[in-house]
Amino acid sequence: MKTIRNVIRKAAGCFILVLLILPGSIQAQSTRDLKINEILVLNDSNYVDDYGQHSAWIEIFNSAYNTVDIGGSYLTNDPLNPTKYFIPKGDPITQIAPRNYLVFFADNVPTRGILHLNFTLEETDYVAIYEGNGKKIIDAVKYGPQKPDVSYGRLTDGNHEWGFLEKTTPMANNFTGTVESAGEKFVEMDPYGVGMAVIAMSVVFAALILLYIVFKNTKRIYSINLKRMFCRECKKEPLEESLPGIEISGEVNAAIAMAIHLYISELHDHEEAILTIKKVSRTYSPWSSKIYGLRNHPR
Amino acid sequence: MEHSGSFLTFVSDHLNQFFTYTAFANVTSGHLIMICIGLIFIYLAIAKEYEPMLLIPIGFGILVGNIAFMPGLKIGIYESGSVLNYLYFGVLQGIYPPLIFLGIGAMTDFSALISNPKLMLIGAAAQLGIFGAYAIALLLGFSPSEAGAIGIIGGADGPTAIFLSSKLAPELLGAIAISAYSYMALVPVIQPPVMRLLTTKKERLIRMKPPRSVSKVEKVLFPIIGMLLTCFIVPSGLPLLGMLFFGNLLKESGVTKRLADTAKGPMIDIVTILIGLTVGASTQATTFLTAKSVGIFALGAASFVIATFGGVMFVKIINLFLKEGNKMNPLIGNAGVSAVPDSARVSQVVGLEYDKTNHLLMHAMGPNVAGVIGSAVAAGIILGFLS
Repeated sequence: MKTIRNVIRKAAGCFILVLLILPGSIQAQSTRDLKINEILVLNDSNYVDDYGQHSAWIEIFNSAYNTVDIGGSYLTNDPLNPTKYFIPKGDPITQIAPRNYLVFFADNVPTRGILHLNFTLEETDYVAIYEGNGKKIIDAVKYGPQKPDVSYGRLTDGNHEWGFLEKTTPMANNFTGTVESAGEKFVEMDPYGVGMAVIAMSVVFAALILLYIVFKNTKRIYSINLKRMFCRECKKEPLEESLPGIEISGEVNAAIAMAIHLYISELHDHEEAILTIKKVSRTYSPWSSKIYGLRNHPR
Repeated sequence: MEHSGSFLTFVSDHLNQFFTYTAFANVTSGHLIMICIGLIFIYLAIAKEYEPMLLIPIGFGILVGNIAFMPGLKIGIYESGSVLNYLYFGVLQGIYPPLIFLGIGAMTDFSALISNPKLMLIGAAAQLGIFGAYAIALLLGFSPSEAGAIGIIGGADGPTAIFLSSKLAPELLGAIAISAYSYMALVPVIQPPVMRLLTTKKERLIRMKPPRSVSKVEKVLFPIIGMLLTCFIVPSGLPLLGMLFFGNLLKESGVTKRLADTAKGPMIDIVTILIGLTVGASTQATTFLTAKSVGIFALGAASFVIATFGGVMFVKIINLFLKEGNKMNPLIGNAGVSAVPDSARVSQVVGLEYDKTNHLLMHAMGPNVAGVIGSAVAAGIILGFLS
């Protein structure tokens, strides 16, 4: 009993430890998934806005796998004024599709539409996006001196590494090289599938071995008498002698169940009525009675 | 007279035009071959009773999918906006397979597995077929995603095969699904020779201990713990494993009989009809009859053989470490491939050939249902690595 208690204590300890360690990389699937992905401060002859103007721009990337509405958040270039530009709510344009982009023009002409901000990027070297409460920062970037027509952004979408990009890529992937699929990368390292077989079979075995261990011991765990374990007085009482380990097999149980079923359904072998070919004494029956025969005329 | 002449021209022109819309004008030899395959499926289902619940919808679906038509009328399964295309959406987006798993969970009794948990490991060993077929597919020049989708045929689990191929190689979905279901139906033909080849007469006569009785608490705990453990390890298997264990909890909890009855009755029937018909219809000759499809069929057969080999050999190896009296009959090893309950039935039939009183069915059901879990876990791993 003492060992079992120790095991339970250790298991509980491990469980709490795992709970403390695990929540490191929880994905929010909300505005917190928005990232400032790329900026172009000095736009001389690059991407033009819907008015045909070369304005500085900020690309926002939705790193989530669901649509995120940026409406209701704030964009700013001033850390002391986080609510500088309010992005209006309820406009379909502010809905950013999963793993997609939205470009805002920092031209200080907000009358041109909701994608045109009331500040420029040359005023400061900072740009940030804030949550609707204007207090909690979603993402921010501080940039140094910029080159004309060269954008500054994350080297791959949503990644933390920043630098000058080879090509400006508004509304497109920042990484413009050849993208290898996960499968292609895997096969480069494991061309014959041996690695896959080893890793995957190990994982399948691990999963089922875990299940095996748990269910090997489940009966033992849930049959622990917790009341007795934590009650000092009960411990002094001697344990009731249990029956010597008779394991009743499923077949025996099935036979007993069938017998009970037959008994309840009255499908028993022994019948009270007697079937015989001997002539029985009581031969009269209304069915054979001439009195009730159909040939008689009704009175 | 002139008027009647132009009227006749009008009629003949329109009859000609109508003819171009008929299947007679558009049919190709490929369509006819596929229609023959569909008819064979229907014959096998009705005359031989090979997996009729699946082969009849798929067989008829093949007929439906291979009626040659003029493109552009929103008829074909691959034409956006057609009725069949809407129904096929559930296959392409992987909606139907988890719903089928829900029903399977609601109708599966895991008692055999709980009473003898070491049988779970056979279900893991038989997944060797998946990775064997994956390796061969890579050697044959299939892309990694295609190889992963083809490999899952070795799991002998139709819904899992459809689920994975819809994610990794949707263009091969028809061939993979047809191959998986065909070989599942042919389990009684494929497996016995491999089982006989790998076992001695002495091994085939091993009698296993009768399974112990399983309490209700254990049955209720199984889906909960099973889901938590397997999905913590392989979250990408969540759609299949989550639904499988959820269905089982509906059954075992004893308080949701109505839900369990719906899941294992009308719901799984509806989804089976839809998945069978649309997968069958997706085998249009123009997209289906390719060298790749032939390769997939060959690899499917190989994967079933390797899976059976893995299961049987694993039992033989485990037996080396077990005491006399606790040993397992290697004839239950084949049941580690899912194909519930056909492969377990094969164990029983082959076992009875050598000892008329040695019933292996209940023992084989353990690895059989473990195979369902194992193949769903394997699918999750492949999805995690290759998608």
